[in-house]
Amino acid sequence: MAESKTIKEILSITGKSNSLVDRSELESYSVDGLVPKAVLFPETERQISEIMKVASRESVSVIPMGSGTKRSLGNIPPQLDVLLSTQKLNRVLEHEARDLVATAECGITLESLQRALKSNGQYLPVNPMHTARGATLGGIIASNASGPLRLRYGTLRELLIGIRVVRADGTVFKGGSKVVKNVAGYDLPKLYVGSLGTLGIITEATLRLYSIPERSESYLVSFTTLEKCSETVMELLKSDLVMNSLELLNPALAREVAERTGIELKRRKYALAIRVMNVDKAVSEQMSLVKKVCNKGRAQGVTVNGAQEEKLWEEIVNYPWNTAQENMVKLKAGVLITDVPRVFSELEEHAIHKDVTVYASSKAGNGIVDITLKGESSSLSSLVKSLRQYAGSLGVSLVIEAAPPGLKSGVDVWGDMGSGLALMKRIKSNFDPAGILNPGRYI
Amino acid sequence: MSPDWKIGFKDKLLAILGARGVISSDDELIAFECDALPGYRIKPVFVVLPETTQQVSRVVRECFEHNIPYVPRGAGTGLSGGALPTAEGIVISLSRMNKILEVDIANERVVVEPGVVNLSVTQAVSPFGYYYAPDPSSQIVCTIGGNVAENSGGVHCLKYGVTSNHVLGLEVVVPDGDIVELGGKTPDHPGYDLVGLVVGSEGLLGIVTKVVLRIVRKPESVETLFATFDKIEDAGASVSGITARGVIPAGMEIMDNLCIRSVEEAIGCGYPVDAGAILLVELDGPEAEVTAQLPIVQNVLRDNNANEIKIAKDEQERELFWKGRKSAFPAMGRISSDYYVQDGVIPRSKLAEVLGKVGELSTKYGLRVANVFHAGDGNLHPLVLYDGTCEGEHQKALELAGDILSVCVESGGSITGEHGVGHDKKRFLSLMFDESDLDTMNLLRCSFDSKGLCNPGKVFPTPRTCVEPGMKSFKEHPVQKAGQGEMY
Repeated sequence: MAESKTIKEILSITGKSNSLVDRSELESYSVDGLVPKAVLFPETERQISEIMKVASRESVSVIPMGSGTKRSLGNIPPQLDVLLSTQKLNRVLEHEARDLVATAECGITLESLQRALKSNGQYLPVNPMHTARGATLGGIIASNASGPLRLRYGTLRELLIGIRVVRADGTVFKGGSKVVKNVAGYDLPKLYVGSLGTLGIITEATLRLYSIPERSESYLVSFTTLEKCSETVMELLKSDLVMNSLELLNPALAREVAERTGIELKRRKYALAIRVMNVDKAVSEQMSLVKKVCNKGRAQGVTVNGAQEEKLWEEIVNYPWNTAQENMVKLKAGVLITDVPRVFSELEEHAIHKDVTVYASSKAGNGIVDITLKGESSSLSSLVKSLRQYAGSLGVSLVIEAAPPGLKSGVDVWGDMGSGLALMKRIKSNFDPAGILNPGRYI
Repeated sequence: MSPDWKIGFKDKLLAILGARGVISSDDELIAFECDALPGYRIKPVFVVLPETTQQVSRVVRECFEHNIPYVPRGAGTGLSGGALPTAEGIVISLSRMNKILEVDIANERVVVEPGVVNLSVTQAVSPFGYYYAPDPSSQIVCTIGGNVAENSGGVHCLKYGVTSNHVLGLEVVVPDGDIVELGGKTPDHPGYDLVGLVVGSEGLLGIVTKVVLRIVRKPESVETLFATFDKIEDAGASVSGITARGVIPAGMEIMDNLCIRSVEEAIGCGYPVDAGAILLVELDGPEAEVTAQLPIVQNVLRDNNANEIKIAKDEQERELFWKGRKSAFPAMGRISSDYYVQDGVIPRSKLAEVLGKVGELSTKYGLRVANVFHAGDGNLHPLVLYDGTCEGEHQKALELAGDILSVCVESGGSITGEHGVGHDKKRFLSLMFDESDLDTMNLLRCSFDSKGLCNPGKVFPTPRTCVEPGMKSFKEHPVQKAGQGEMY
């Protein structure tokens, strides 16, 4: 635990205007119910390095964050001294459009980054949760957040080609490079995707970009049964289509998404949202193929584009986390593509028996299942327990990505990390011998 | 270690592997002295040929206990000397672990042992309409284990990515002999991305004994364009122009005039010998997409002063277009007795500038340089031509190639795009990375291999030791610095 003298020393690095210390202000920055002693908003990588030098010398625990949209990801921290936000490191440093590469400071929000890239007709092809709430580039990298576009472009793992990081002891290093193909030295950028601030504070990222496609169109389509819906998924995946997104929605989520987007869905059952982005003519031809495949499954759908299409995907990714966030739990599992239907029918049974609403979607071509549970906390707790048992029977982990502190206490939110855990722990202790970076939350 | 350690150690290896699994006679060991970088040769003490993960684990455990360095090896096609043996060490060849363990088409996964040849993966899934995307030129012989170690690319990685984008899981024997499973058939395992870290680690973090690969659907349609230019700069500008229009071709390859002439002389594939450069562009995807993209690409080529633009009318013509490109390295034999290939990467936008500088260097050293490269991702393969029988020319070629790498790094690029650092380029690694970058990499290596026994002496410019967690890792001992001792 940090002494107040040490906190003062750290505060002198950022200055008063770039820190919060008043109890009243700090409370809104609590992590799993723990209130930090200070929140820091350093303006430079140099300041971050200075902060970490003091923190490692004095064993001050530091939780790095961007805008803090995913602050509940991780186990309940055993202690919390300082929250360090990279928000003020928010510039685009370089955008070489001819190379389809950009370098930015990691505190930039994904929205501002996309706005800057758009001036050259390019974008970073990711659309994870909380983008509209200010999710930052660094936070997205550190939490390995992904969205429906991963079907075509992969995750940040595929797009991050270079990185700058401040290590726990304040050492600044870089990994990777600024070219899309490079195998010199270890692939450090990959280690930092999903490292959740435990191996250092990411300050800069170099990214592979894509040109914004000429045209985008989506099709929201509902089916009479889960079986028909799943058959259609497999047929779409086996076809010659190149889809950007293929999302399977359970009835509860499909209903809300359609309503909030102003789309009238005839059937209120399982739905698929399919997105194709390409040159104009290719979109038309592929969309007609999409409809042909779906109609074999006796589906009824609506074509969506423009602002409504953007809204549709925002709702699919964010609902219900873009509403009040009380009494909700967010779960994520990565399963085999062929196991996705099984998971949804399991969820259906739970949706009937419990007084909990289950919203579920799947990146059906990747095997990612995102589940949100909403209801009374006692029911939430027992449902999470039984779903985790079910995930265990499929041989996968069900990660609790967000939950009220009461539900998280005494639970390992990550589940089994497998036989690689010993290596991960060794890396962690070599990179952060004093155990000050995001301690107790991840590895 | 006492000099007679070899006798006792051989007995231990024999107990694990039997007589057919241990090579110890000089005439057989010669085959393992080098990989496809023949300039360096070291004879290993023994070569072992394990057939199971358990055997690999037991061998590694013996090495760990007795402090014997070891080098993993696949087919030995590496161009950077990554499989160069260590004197007083053994080679662990994975060539007998060559089974395809599982083909799961519905889930788009194939599970293989490391000795499986790259092309066999595609052959196994091709009847179902799938293929394995990374396609290094050596794909008919190189192994998946070697591809994983080097993070191999190929001609189609602009659109489809390199090996690390296609590996989802690994079974690894780590340097203390433990067997660990990293990742798997399902996505997004919680925990650090150790799969991403081990891929491309050049055999320094352990021995891969099983690999889970992602396979992809064969594209519905493929179109290959062939364009000639007076000036190579125009070919380069076309490449940037195509990607700027939002078209990501499966591959884009450029050859310069020297390369064209030697290829034409060697195989006569109909390349125009007076062209300044040839650009090959391959589009693939749904037919609707390819049809729509074709005129866009043609326009860009015309706008950039292409002389002749041909579109392959059938598979036969397509293969002819590619034949020249694929023969580029061996064809150099027609115009030069020896050549040395490098693997630098540059930002696409700097192509003209860098080629100009390569030309200047070529003049300065008085050696010809032929340029052939994966233009889409800026990966140059300059071929430095020399005569090995001329005193000092080999050395001169090495120096010229080194200067080219410096130019690549100065332009914002990398010293290697797909061949790896290995033994060949370790002296150049510090062009890209400073002390804290290298120190960070060493922290990783030490997390896996505290004794530094796994493929030692590769990648890093100076040997570094490992220290207990909590202490900063330090640089070489004065004795080492003076060249009086080496750290393993």
